[in-house]
Amino acid sequence: MPTSPPGDFLRLEQISKRYGGVRALEGVDFACQRGSIHAVLGENGAGKSTLIKIISGVVRPDTGALTLEGVARDFRSPSAATAAGIVCIFQELSLMPDLSVSDNISISAPPRRLGLIDARAQRRRAEALLAEIGCEDVNPLARVRDLPLSRRQMVEIAKSIGHKPRLLILDEATSALTSADVEKVYKLLARLKAEGVSILYISHRMHEVEALADRASVFRNGRHIETFDMGARTTPQIVQLMIGRDIATQYPPKPPARPREPALRVADLNWETSLADISLSVGAGEIVGLGGLDGQGQKMLLLALFGVLKSVSGQIEVNGRPVRMRSPADAKSPDIRIALVPEDRKTEGLMLAMSIADNLTIASLGDFASGPFIDRAKERSAIEGGIERLRVKIGAAQDAVSTLSGGNQQKVVIAKWLMTNPRVILLNDPTRGIDVGTKQELYRLMRELADQGAAILFYSTDYDELIGCCDRVAIMYDGRIVRELSGADITETNIVASSLNIAQGAHV
Amino acid sequence: MSAGVLKLSRDDRPILIAALFIVVILIAGTGYTLSRFGSAPLLSPNYLLQQLQIGAFLGIVAAGAMIVILISQIDLSVPWTLAAAAMMATSVGGGWAIPVGLAVGIGVGIINGLGVAYLRVPSMIFTLGVNAVMRGLMVANTGGFAPQTSATDLMRTLASAHWFGIPAALYVWIGVSLLVAIMLQRTLLGRYIYAIGNKEAAAYLAGVNTRAVTVVCFAISGLMAGLAGVLLAGYSQKAYQGMGDAYLLPAIAAVVIGGTNILGGRGRYLGTLVGVILIVLLNSVLSIMAMPEAGRQVIYGGVIILMLLVYGRGERVTS
Repeated sequence: MPTSPPGDFLRLEQISKRYGGVRALEGVDFACQRGSIHAVLGENGAGKSTLIKIISGVVRPDTGALTLEGVARDFRSPSAATAAGIVCIFQELSLMPDLSVSDNISISAPPRRLGLIDARAQRRRAEALLAEIGCEDVNPLARVRDLPLSRRQMVEIAKSIGHKPRLLILDEATSALTSADVEKVYKLLARLKAEGVSILYISHRMHEVEALADRASVFRNGRHIETFDMGARTTPQIVQLMIGRDIATQYPPKPPARPREPALRVADLNWETSLADISLSVGAGEIVGLGGLDGQGQKMLLLALFGVLKSVSGQIEVNGRPVRMRSPADAKSPDIRIALVPEDRKTEGLMLAMSIADNLTIASLGDFASGPFIDRAKERSAIEGGIERLRVKIGAAQDAVSTLSGGNQQKVVIAKWLMTNPRVILLNDPTRGIDVGTKQELYRLMRELADQGAAILFYSTDYDELIGCCDRVAIMYDGRIVRELSGADITETNIVASSLNIAQGAHV
Repeated sequence: MSAGVLKLSRDDRPILIAALFIVVILIAGTGYTLSRFGSAPLLSPNYLLQQLQIGAFLGIVAAGAMIVILISQIDLSVPWTLAAAAMMATSVGGGWAIPVGLAVGIGVGIINGLGVAYLRVPSMIFTLGVNAVMRGLMVANTGGFAPQTSATDLMRTLASAHWFGIPAALYVWIGVSLLVAIMLQRTLLGRYIYAIGNKEAAAYLAGVNTRAVTVVCFAISGLMAGLAGVLLAGYSQKAYQGMGDAYLLPAIAAVVIGGTNILGGRGRYLGTLVGVILIVLLNSVLSIMAMPEAGRQVIYGGVIILMLLVYGRGERVTS
């Protein structure tokens, strides 16, 4: 740490932390000032989450010192950190869905009368806090479960303000917000800053960081790379600091359009009220995107194609042969060979407590079997191959997969499916919450797999990705495919227009 | 899965602690008998072999209980599955006695498995119901009296004969143990069991036939209860009402003391083995001390809680 201005609220010196064989933070020096918004930038696995967890008392560093206003502190629990004025809003919501908004806001220290919880005071407190962040319209007595995601996140923010933070940490806290709510958060942050609160702001959205932050620190591979005033660096420079190398073209080039044998053909697919008359084909070697607003049936379509949904009507053909799938086990069977990278890697993609090795081979275990037994030598070489192919950054293959960063966990999920040598690959928003560098690796990998003959159906909530990666894009609205775009027609304007189902009257 | 022998993983720690506790029990018990009677029967091979023979029945039940616990389910139908298998075996008699007993066990297990996997009833409720149904059926079958039939010679031999100075029941337990340990460590089924216990949704989406595995696990648990019933009937010459009642909770306790996560997905078979031995020795030392039944229950429960507290440390849930 070169100089420490007197305005430093928090300082970290030589902080290190390891998880299993993976080094999460190494010798990190970091400081943030009073009354300033400080962005923390870095890829997944750069150590941002660990940094926050250490500051907020969730984990303790192996070595190093933490000082708050010049006083050395050692937080043994999140509540100790909260008592010191450090409040964290995590990207995974910490609300109890079945309790009311006001219960949640005062969960850690409800107002009491005669030892019992004073429900009226609690409600008034919730009203006041919600008003403070501009969410007067949220009913404090509503159950959190009944609120839309964006409102829930606002309740989370109201709850954190209730702790009277002196250092407020926002970890991707805006990713679930609607743009109207984002505006409210901006205003709130500006006010807190004026009141002298320090704010640590973690986001993958560069434009938010540029709009908000006064200073920024870049982390890479568990190390603090550089801290600078915003404006002192251009966005490309910042990105380069984050990934440690120049970004080449962001998306791999697309091959020229040509007629292809359909590897996957779907006709008149219907499922309950979520999917209606879906007809679609994906050629071998082709990447077809699924677009549209969130929740228009894209996820259900992928699940239907993977045999997860019951009583799906319509025809599905793989390599020209009609198939019936009643389970993922059918879908991955040798004559069908469909793979699905599911939406939530932590609960659907991985067995978090099991080893990286066990996770990698779980889908293809049959290939390493002789009779009922697992051929360990064969399995081991497959594991090594998988880790190498996707350049998964690991300590040892026997470590729990939960020790990996988000991006590396997603690579494990994909590597697991590549081991089954799939013909058709279904991807459910695979780059969500993943850093720039890993995203680019995944784009390249998708194109590589397509070039090797795989048919890829790719759902993404990010229009840029659909435009950059896909040969064709099918836009869904209300359970139907309302438009198919290909070639030069894949533009943001067209995608947005079709997503809102405007500018066309053919389907209703 | 291949944990090094010397590397002490988080799954090995409870096993080591339980093993140390066994030593403590032996030392304390021996100290007591030396001071009271001036002898050390606890350390005599004959006594230990006799304890292991008794332990074999519990050990076989615990092996089945462990497999079901590993997929984060539970089998509470053990007591009357065991009794039903024993009663059916003795009433059929002859060469078919043992196959019939085992078939009863597997049959009940498959029903449990189908109920849990396909009807999606929580196993705690479904197996409890099945236990009551089996009990009713057996009472109806015998008219509420102790069965008059007795165990076949083969059943008696398997339960109480000695081969080369070692109780035959111990061979059966060792055989079961080897099969289960190999199954868990080396086979596809074993890997799928751990995967389902860790996160059933992820295992299902990886194409594991989770329902079939669930049914197989309950069938194995039923088979083990049946086997234990057959042996126990041989040991006591006949089947009797309520013969399985004393096996359910100790079996679950042995599994948990051995370090298997009660929520599934983690644990080694060796731990269950050590857990069974611990429970059997603890019981036996308490009875040598002529501890009254009430005191035995208190100590027994206290030990289980104590062991779990010891394991719990440093195992805090991380995000």
